[in-house]
Amino acid sequence: MANLIVASLVGLQSRWRERQIGKRRLSRPLLLAALAVAALVATPLAYLLLRAATAPAETWARLLQTRLLGLLTNTLALMAAVTLGTVVLGVALAWLVERTDLPGRPVWRWLLAVPLAMPAFIGAVVHVALLRPRGGIVPRFLAETLGVDWQGPSPFGFWGAAFMLTLFMYPYVYLLSAAAFRNLHASLEEAARSLGRNAWQTLWTVTLPVLRPGLAAGALLVALDVLAEYGTVALLRYETFSAAIFLQLSGRYDRSAAAILSGGLVVIALAVLAIELWLQGRARAEQVGGHWRPAPPQPLRAWRWPAFALVAAVSLATVFVPVTVLAAWTVQGLRDGPTLAELDRAAGRGLGHYLFNSLWSAGLAAGLAVALSVPVAYLAVRYPRWTSRGLSHLCQVGYALPGVVVALSLILLTNTALPALRGLPLVVVLAYVVRHMPQAVRSSQAALAQLAPSLEEAGRSLGRDSLNVLLTVTVPLIFPGLLAGAALVFLTSLKELPATLLLRPAGFDTLAVRVWLAANDGLYPQAAPAALLLTLCAAVPLAFLLRRGRI
Amino acid sequence: MAPRHPATDECMPALELLDITKQYAPGAARAVDAVSLAVQKGEILSLLGPSGCGKTSTLRLIAGFERPDAGVIRLNGQTVTGPGHWVPPERRGIGMVFQDYALFPHLTVRQNVGFGLQGRAAARIQDTVAHLLELLGLRGLAERYPHELSGGERQRVALARALAPEPVLILLDEPFSSLDADRRAAVREQVRATLRSLGATALFVTHDQEEALFLGDRLAILHQGRLQQIDTPEAIFHSPATRFVAEFLGHTDFLPGEVTADGILTEIGLIPQRVALPIGAPVELAMRADDVTLEPARGGARALVLARHFKGAQNVYRVRLPSGRLLHSLQPHTLNLRSGTPVRVWAAAGHPLACFHDGQRVPAAEL
Amino acid sequence: MPALKPFILKLTLVAGLLAACAPTAPTAPPEPGAAPAGDLVLYSGRSEALIQPVIDQFQALYPDINVALKAGSNSELAAALLEERANPQADLFLTTELMTVQKMANEGVFQPYQPGTPDAVPADYHHPDWLWTGLTLRARVLIYNTQLVTPAAAPQSVLDLTKPEWRGQLAAAGSTNGGFQAHVAALRQLIGDAATTAWLTGLSANEVQFFGGHTDVRKAVGAGEFQVGLVNHYYYHLQKAEGSPVAVVYPDQGEGQMGVVVNATGIGVIAGARHAAAAGLFIDYLLSPEGQQLFAELNYEYPVRPGVPLHPEVQPLTGLRLAAFDVVAAADSLESTLDLLETLGIP
Repeated sequence: MANLIVASLVGLQSRWRERQIGKRRLSRPLLLAALAVAALVATPLAYLLLRAATAPAETWARLLQTRLLGLLTNTLALMAAVTLGTVVLGVALAWLVERTDLPGRPVWRWLLAVPLAMPAFIGAVVHVALLRPRGGIVPRFLAETLGVDWQGPSPFGFWGAAFMLTLFMYPYVYLLSAAAFRNLHASLEEAARSLGRNAWQTLWTVTLPVLRPGLAAGALLVALDVLAEYGTVALLRYETFSAAIFLQLSGRYDRSAAAILSGGLVVIALAVLAIELWLQGRARAEQVGGHWRPAPPQPLRAWRWPAFALVAAVSLATVFVPVTVLAAWTVQGLRDGPTLAELDRAAGRGLGHYLFNSLWSAGLAAGLAVALSVPVAYLAVRYPRWTSRGLSHLCQVGYALPGVVVALSLILLTNTALPALRGLPLVVVLAYVVRHMPQAVRSSQAALAQLAPSLEEAGRSLGRDSLNVLLTVTVPLIFPGLLAGAALVFLTSLKELPATLLLRPAGFDTLAVRVWLAANDGLYPQAAPAALLLTLCAAVPLAFLLRRGRI
Repeated sequence: MAPRHPATDECMPALELLDITKQYAPGAARAVDAVSLAVQKGEILSLLGPSGCGKTSTLRLIAGFERPDAGVIRLNGQTVTGPGHWVPPERRGIGMVFQDYALFPHLTVRQNVGFGLQGRAAARIQDTVAHLLELLGLRGLAERYPHELSGGERQRVALARALAPEPVLILLDEPFSSLDADRRAAVREQVRATLRSLGATALFVTHDQEEALFLGDRLAILHQGRLQQIDTPEAIFHSPATRFVAEFLGHTDFLPGEVTADGILTEIGLIPQRVALPIGAPVELAMRADDVTLEPARGGARALVLARHFKGAQNVYRVRLPSGRLLHSLQPHTLNLRSGTPVRVWAAAGHPLACFHDGQRVPAAEL
Repeated sequence: MPALKPFILKLTLVAGLLAACAPTAPTAPPEPGAAPAGDLVLYSGRSEALIQPVIDQFQALYPDINVALKAGSNSELAAALLEERANPQADLFLTTELMTVQKMANEGVFQPYQPGTPDAVPADYHHPDWLWTGLTLRARVLIYNTQLVTPAAAPQSVLDLTKPEWRGQLAAAGSTNGGFQAHVAALRQLIGDAATTAWLTGLSANEVQFFGGHTDVRKAVGAGEFQVGLVNHYYYHLQKAEGSPVAVVYPDQGEGQMGVVVNATGIGVIAGARHAAAAGLFIDYLLSPEGQQLFAELNYEYPVRPGVPLHPEVQPLTGLRLAAFDVVAAADSLESTLDLLETLGIP
């Protein structure tokens, strides 16, 4: 997701790569390792599709008649709305922060990325509690203190879901466009001005088209995320494929209907992913030449404070309000006797325990994903040809596997092939690895692409074999890049909900699951401490990634 | 510079700068310091100076990408920048070739060249683009994207794009600096031919004096934001206005001396040249290799040959004077001295040497 | 599979029985020294908030046993149990209605366990071979917001919910909720498939808001977001305890009406469970007067064990018209009920 930037870096750094296509022989152990990783990632998907294809005809018929069309419309509509919303909001915010004289730019640059540390469903919990008609905190406050009967827009349904997901997914597009705006050669825009286009025309005819490949890739990844989203849509009562699959899994004994729906979802997602990978390939040749010079900020003049208000409103809605409300609930929970008892119990065996579960499962997933990504990335970067690229693309199907689908495929797989895994938290870790492998692969590829192959060749010429060189030269040199990949996997695994919810063995709850369960029961003061803790934990890798400029 | 001509259209300069000053931050040095100059129609002016001298800033001020703190810029007599006047860059009619070419990566060569022609008839755009592509030898590349071009091709596309709207003035910002050395000469030649054949008025920024001499009808030399000298290349070469100009043009050693009644007394003897300075004033003389001669010394001399650079018909000797100062001397190839040979050195210019006091040229004294 | 003798839940009779019985002597306190140790894995269709306090009490008695809880919907956990038959992960399965445990018994998921005090469970509330046993009873009632609905205007029958006057004003738990599933299965017996389908269609047409669980329903009604909700009776008491202006209707009490639908929660020991002994202790504790008292006190439920006093605020089932339906038949029709809900698009 966030290593879109990384992906475009791969493109920029690839000049030397293309010269050596076909000149090096594939290393066999490396190829075997990469094949094994690809198999690990692709098997659940293959098995799932098999199950969908072999599902009973009557199940297919029932779903086709009743569910598929509605779900498809719902899902695609939400995907389109959120994608559009995030692109508009993300690009606008990035432009304001990077290219204008907006007051407080250094602060906004960071604050606008902070929503990445909070799972969207937590934001949704807060907004629902605040805004729900009649029962919401805001309408009730207005009615009780001011006597105003204000119902406001309902946070539920299509518009609520579109709004909420836009608010919490825009940072992907924002960070991507901000980096693109920063890297944009000022001379391009000046050239357009000198050729007779005014500032507005220049934005539309030059700036945005130049940013387009990266933006499109970002938009498509948002689209994939919308497909995968479960918690938010379920909470906001809008039924998409993911929510329907979850419903199937929790409402029915028979898995074949869930497998069919998952198949449909994966087909949509694969189509989106294919476009994204294609764009990523094309984006590589953009912006030739060096002599980068920052563009002078555009004076906003009269729009300065309205723009400030917009940026402040976004930050208010995505950071300040959720954190304040969560903090207030936490305090309320600590003051209330029964809730305190509940929290106390949770603290004895719970909150710390859940934190520990979250940290070790996400941490193990991050380490595993990055370690497994190295052979795949190494092959794709150092031996570029269709086999290695194909493997690398195969490892990125995780993007197209929403959490519920990963969960379902692992449930099916552990039933038939790997019963020993069942009941172990390792299944959850495995789901994280499969789902977040793409981020690790892309990060590792970006890190490798920046390492001149001559360093490895020097190692080989000094009498070390390729494995030895990989371990003693390559890995230490790309370690910071690998760490960034690990941070990314850690961050996203920490926030993962649906797969954890479905796969967790008894007694293994993570913070995200605790927040979800408590919030689902409407026990906000109990959900809040875990939500705050989760957000704090996610903020650490996020800060690391932001500092590296890698996100 | 001369004040503005009370203009007939004929002699009205295409570009005129009056006391243009730009300071990027309060307290910072002035990037452009009261620069005044004029470019006549059809003229190519080279703006030359080391990096950081303010030449690119000057260019950006002319293009309208920056606003000066003071001064006036006129294009064809019309004020585009000045107190109460501001014409945005897109309405100035100035073409610009950027150092990095700034070709739009999402557009083909044809679309790049036609970019500035929006609003004109399609047929006319097509003709103009075709003509320019032909002129610059880019005909076969029209449908390529910038990343599919070589450096030289990109350069020519950038020029074609800047020329397409028939600008009043074309600005070129270090246009050859991104090219490999072996490509440079050919591209340069083509650019000059194109500009000449179109009778374009151009202001060309470079830090490479060879390029400046090759391309410019006149040279303007900038240093620390100040205009040092503006004149024909010959005049500047023969008569540098400041020590900086002499030094920047290169191949010049500076020999300190002291004004005496009979001339200037230096380490290599008295140079019989009178200057309008009081006796005893310290000066520096600009000495080129052809102003200095030498012969093997027979005792007593303490100058030493350090190295000989064989240049075909001639040898250039690097000589260390007793003070440690270095001088260069051009000698026929027949004179062949080893390094370490003691020599006697004297000035034999046959013309008055440029003489500087406090960095400024000192005019010869009235006799 | 042992053939299960069909039995009818003659709840009217049972309720009378419950009321008539005097409290029995408390069971002997467990001897901690004899307690087995280890992890007891409990799959619970009861939401965590409604089972955890009981687990906490159990663990206070048996500190060496650690109860690992996985709470979810009945059907989700049942599916997991079916998948895990070859390699059982759970020791106990607790549901919020009896259809699912009956189905699991049919599928061979359970092993028999007879509680230490078998007479604590009336015969109608356990499997004849003790493959499962009932724990508590809950009535399906209507909760309404008294600021929005007067007692006179409140619906008196679940069938009233399809009336147009309630359009947009109703909340219920959706198709993944065991209580709702069982209610629909019961209705199919009580009023027939056609009328049940019409009722469900009517609910959809009336824009009933289906939530994932009953807590959302009671909170929404308590807050006035919806006027009326279809819930288990204790959700009314829980909401009332939070100070909300709510009241309850035990529906369908009129002459010729079907009576209020009552579900029971059930529990069974998984065949092949690794901690069967501890599982037995847990069931015994849940059926002990202390355990039953906890359900009654904390969660306002009707204890299955005769003689355990109700929470004072809870209306006794005695004297109420209770709907009579066959759990075995309902269990057999469970899947077709789920199909029906899905076909009708109940979320």
